[in-house]
Amino acid sequence: MRAFIENIGHGLIDAIAKLGYFARLFVLTLRQSGTAFARLRLTIAQVHFIGNYSLVIIVVSGLFVGFVLGLQGYNTLQRYGSEQALGLLVALSLVRELGPVVTALLFAGRAGTSITAEIGLMKAGEQLTAMEMMAVSPVARVLAPRFWAGVVSMPLLAAMFSAVGIFGGYIVGVVMIGVDEGAFWSQMQTGVDWMDDVANGVIKSIVFGIAVTFIAVFEGYDSLPTPEGVSRATTRTVVSSSLAVLALDFILTALMFSKG
Amino acid sequence: MPADQPFVAMEGVSFAYPTLTGATGRQILSGVDLQVRRGQLVALMGGSGSGKTTILRLLGGQVKPQSGTVKVDGRNVHALGHAELFALRRRMGMLFQFGALFTDMSVFENVAFPLREHTDLPDSAIRDLVLMKLNAVGLRGAQALMPAEISGGMARRVALARAIALDPQLIMYDEPFAGLDPISLGITANLIRSLGAALNAASIIVTHDVAESLQIVDYIYFLAEGKIVAQGTPDEIRASSMPYVQQFVAGSPDGPVRFHYPAPDYAADLGLAK
Repeated sequence: MRAFIENIGHGLIDAIAKLGYFARLFVLTLRQSGTAFARLRLTIAQVHFIGNYSLVIIVVSGLFVGFVLGLQGYNTLQRYGSEQALGLLVALSLVRELGPVVTALLFAGRAGTSITAEIGLMKAGEQLTAMEMMAVSPVARVLAPRFWAGVVSMPLLAAMFSAVGIFGGYIVGVVMIGVDEGAFWSQMQTGVDWMDDVANGVIKSIVFGIAVTFIAVFEGYDSLPTPEGVSRATTRTVVSSSLAVLALDFILTALMFSKG
Repeated sequence: MPADQPFVAMEGVSFAYPTLTGATGRQILSGVDLQVRRGQLVALMGGSGSGKTTILRLLGGQVKPQSGTVKVDGRNVHALGHAELFALRRRMGMLFQFGALFTDMSVFENVAFPLREHTDLPDSAIRDLVLMKLNAVGLRGAQALMPAEISGGMARRVALARAIALDPQLIMYDEPFAGLDPISLGITANLIRSLGAALNAASIIVTHDVAESLQIVDYIYFLAEGKIVAQGTPDEIRASSMPYVQQFVAGSPDGPVRFHYPAPDYAADLGLAK
């Protein structure tokens, strides 16, 4: 019985200690971000690696989500005779919610895991220690450029996702089902607000970018330097960052779209 | 600093890794005194887990001793601020056991790394310096290869070139001979000797390769269970009558260092005891 209570206590203390370490490393990464901007090439290389290589999965997923939105949206809207509003529905769904959220989830699986595994393996190979012994901070040289690259890539990828998704909705709705093309685009243009919808979506994806990339960076840096430790860290990246994205999405939506 | 003062000096250093609850764990080092002068090549020997690598970590300021002082170039390593510690580390070179090369960079970029991070030299000067360092370890021709494309012995030599890129005054080698074939081992041993002399650096080599190190080092410290149990020049060590040193030099399986991990009585364990 005593051992059981002790276990709970240990688990709790570990969790709180890890949270504290997470917060401290976050502040440290921000403070040591000078290098990531002063030597922009380091960050750009990571944007290329993280962002560009995620492009295929983002575009393909966006297209299919757009197809499904077109079909489902048409099915529901035509019951009320308002299939003219299909363009508006597709665009709002994507720009406000699906663009930022699905992109963040895919990003966690595609780029987050590779960031965690890379940093974890660098740690296992004593590369991070070697860097420290060469008087180079791994936080400034390895963590910060990856972090900022993720933060920059996420809104760009989300915008790409939404754009391709709208095109997918257009193909299904207008080209295949035959919704009026003029109505599709004009309803979208009048109904989507630049500030309320687009800007809020961008803010969301920036927040998701910070959360997902930093979780990935942290899990890699905090991983046990063994094959098992790195594999666990990679799994934790996907689980924690997916949950974080969904929870943050709820909070942000509540803040942004609850009127009055 | 007077010329005869040691470049590295440890006095009464004790160390144990702290545990999560704040209590200290198993004692790794207790009361270690050690000195290394510029131009001198010193070996730390002892069995696995005797605290040799911990000494290097203490010198680099990666871990903090519970008591005693660690001085490098007359400065107490653990009293320095972050910036001062980093400034001191720029004058140290460390060769890790398996090289610890950056796997996402070519051989050339690995050696160029410290130069790019710590100097504002133009690319052409960096190129010349890197080629000179690579030439010193005989791998100028391998500059374009990636770490995955070279052998373990070559990786160790590239790491050595990287460790000396900034002409350090203190070079630390962590098990430089582990896992090397006889040819690579001989090459590495010669390089360690000649580079230390060329740079007039204080060199510390952690090893349990007795035969090879007795030939190249100036002085030896023997560690057992965190204490220095013997020290002296290679000749003194060879002539030592201490059972522990004898066992180490001769490589006998049993002696003061037991072959058997502590265990209950063998017969009793097999259920044969009456």
